[in-house]
Amino acid sequence: MANTGHVTQVIGSTFDAEFPEDSLPSIYNAVTVEVKEGEGTRVLTGEVSKQLGGGRIRCVALGSTEGMVRGQTCVDSGSPVSVPVGQATLGRVFNMLGEPVDGRGEVAAEEIRPIHRSAPKVEELSTNTEIFPTGIKVIDLLTPFVRGGKAGLFGGAGLGKTVILTELIARIASSHGGYSVFAGVGERTREGTDLWNEMQEAKIGDTGKSVIEQTCMVFGQMNEPPGSRLRVALSALTMAEYFRDSTGADTLLFVDNIFRFSQAGSEVSALLGRMPSAVGYQPTLATEMGALQERIASTNKGAITSVQAVYVPADDPTDPAPATAFGQLDAFIYLERSISEKGIYPAVDPLASSSRILDPQYVGERHYTIARRVQTTLQRYRELQDIIAILGVDELAEEDKLVVHRARRIERFLSQPFFVAEVFTGKKGEDTTIEDTIRSFEEICDGKWDHLPEQAFMYVGAVEQAEEQAKQMAAKA
Amino acid sequence: MANPRALDKRRKSIRNIKKITRTMELIATARFKKAMDRASAATAYTDRITQVVGDLANAGLEVTHPLLEEHAEQKSGALLVLTANRGLCGGYNGNVIRMGTKRRKEMLEEIPQVAMDVSGKRGISGFKFREIEMNEQFLQFDDQPAYEEVERIANVYLQRYIAGELDRLDVVYTQFHTIARQTAVVETLLPLGTLDGTPDEKSGDAKQSESVYEFEPSAESILEEVVPTSFKVKLFKCFLDAAVSEQIARMVAMKSATENANEMIKSLSMTYNRARQSKITGEIMEVIGGVEALEG
Repeated sequence: MANTGHVTQVIGSTFDAEFPEDSLPSIYNAVTVEVKEGEGTRVLTGEVSKQLGGGRIRCVALGSTEGMVRGQTCVDSGSPVSVPVGQATLGRVFNMLGEPVDGRGEVAAEEIRPIHRSAPKVEELSTNTEIFPTGIKVIDLLTPFVRGGKAGLFGGAGLGKTVILTELIARIASSHGGYSVFAGVGERTREGTDLWNEMQEAKIGDTGKSVIEQTCMVFGQMNEPPGSRLRVALSALTMAEYFRDSTGADTLLFVDNIFRFSQAGSEVSALLGRMPSAVGYQPTLATEMGALQERIASTNKGAITSVQAVYVPADDPTDPAPATAFGQLDAFIYLERSISEKGIYPAVDPLASSSRILDPQYVGERHYTIARRVQTTLQRYRELQDIIAILGVDELAEEDKLVVHRARRIERFLSQPFFVAEVFTGKKGEDTTIEDTIRSFEEICDGKWDHLPEQAFMYVGAVEQAEEQAKQMAAKA
Repeated sequence: MANPRALDKRRKSIRNIKKITRTMELIATARFKKAMDRASAATAYTDRITQVVGDLANAGLEVTHPLLEEHAEQKSGALLVLTANRGLCGGYNGNVIRMGTKRRKEMLEEIPQVAMDVSGKRGISGFKFREIEMNEQFLQFDDQPAYEEVERIANVYLQRYIAGELDRLDVVYTQFHTIARQTAVVETLLPLGTLDGTPDEKSGDAKQSESVYEFEPSAESILEEVVPTSFKVKLFKCFLDAAVSEQIARMVAMKSATENANEMIKSLSMTYNRARQSKITGEIMEVIGGVEALEG
């Protein structure tokens, strides 16, 4: 006989249930309630998050609480929410509970795993540090990704976080031998559909297989209740962990958008009776983020390379949610509104972005020196901007004029046409090797291309293409 | 949004800049009036002397003077560039330096040797940066160039020209047309060329007054005196024009700088107020939230 109780209270997306005092469901266990819906019924799953005493428990509903009534029977499943893992999940789309939502029938998984697990132990962690090329100039030069590391794309609304993430999927996943897992957390459902379609079209190398055959996707989008958005990242992570631990393959984990995870947490936090902390977030913000991020790690069995989009509310990076995510990442890419306003995409802020491995020890002396030179030039330009705005460029010293001249070219050269943005830019995507990137920036810093007009540096790959574009522009004029 | 304190600091520093530019604008306005008076006084004199020389030429004389003759072989030229000693005058110095560099290149194509003579600190540092070697450097000319100083320079050029050491002299300076219009120009002052080159409509009057002059003791001896003076006056006029244009350029540049600063203060104040407000709102909300949570 299953352990049963009954619902005693429903508050928004949380509910209380009463169980016999001696058989309370443990924390994180899934409990199910059969809820009336229209003519039939549906099963609502909740997750135990508090034991209130007197046989009462408080649960976060992982689905909509509509139609719940006090007194309904509540069944303890005896374990946390578990999701199918393994080869069978490839090519499929799931919801947070691990149920397929692509309308292609049951998933014949050999194994299911609970979504709550502990992070790998320190001695299991991989210590290997290696650069992970993306073919995007600004990222490879200034914020190189770490193979088996975590990278974050920070940015306010509408700066192109999702575009960059999709681009990275198109670039990395299509040249990648391992598996990919995509977690859609609280973003638009439409974007998920677009991505799914795109992945079917994209082919892996020249094997003729589509990317989707090596990918599984888990969605808990905007329309879902907070409980679902709070746990969907864990479901996706559990699937990725399986690939890492059991197959040893290099696994990619894409999360869009990790901020929604914190947001969902804050939505349920007050309902669970926690006192709000700074800026109204839950007091457990850092704990929740830490528990999730620590699990995204590379071990000596295999690597998970993860790219996460992080929404920055009101363009304020000091907001607690993005600030907590920041500390967890190896590469930090900050998208800046003033750059996107200039029409430069990707709108990466070259001064605010950074990477743990931008260090001569990992990327080599030359790469490091040139990255720093680019940053120094841009930094100087930014300092001069007030003077230019007031007095005009003519008042600058000759040396500063040269700095401004080059900085404006570098700024534009940091743009790059994307494969997924072909419809917007009208240009084919450009894949630039790290060697080409470094050489191009070195030559611009050395003044070899001072004679080209600024506009020639927009949306090109290596610097030779800028020369080509300048010729075309001259021919047109 | 940046923190309010940083915004306020920035706003303060812009206010200080504005104070400076506003003062500079006023000073330039005052200086401009003086320079303008001198220049317009000189204009009358230059016009007149050019007219006289023109009249002489039209008097039907066989005009020969070493300064009027073009040297057959062009071996060495000189380029005199007139810039300001001070900056903060918009594109004034930049335009002259740019034009000077361009003219030097053109001259070097025709003449094997071109000596650069530069007046003004800005020009000197500009050419130094471009790694162009300079022959003479003058720093003594400010908003009121003295005729004696200019004459000294003019005499050196004249001597060298007559001695055959110099075959051509070009001057780059900012010509003053009206208060609203000054342009950087290049003029060839040596050889002086034909004398009847009075450019404006006054040439009509000159023809009418043709017969009024009587030369005493002789036309030649007067020519001997008038031709070098004409050169000196022309050169002096260049310096005067440059000085007036500099003051106008500074006036305009500082006016727009002050306006820009005002604009910036305005937008910074707006951001600052908004940042301050949202900080307060945030804090109030936190306090209220905390209280409610404690009560609830």
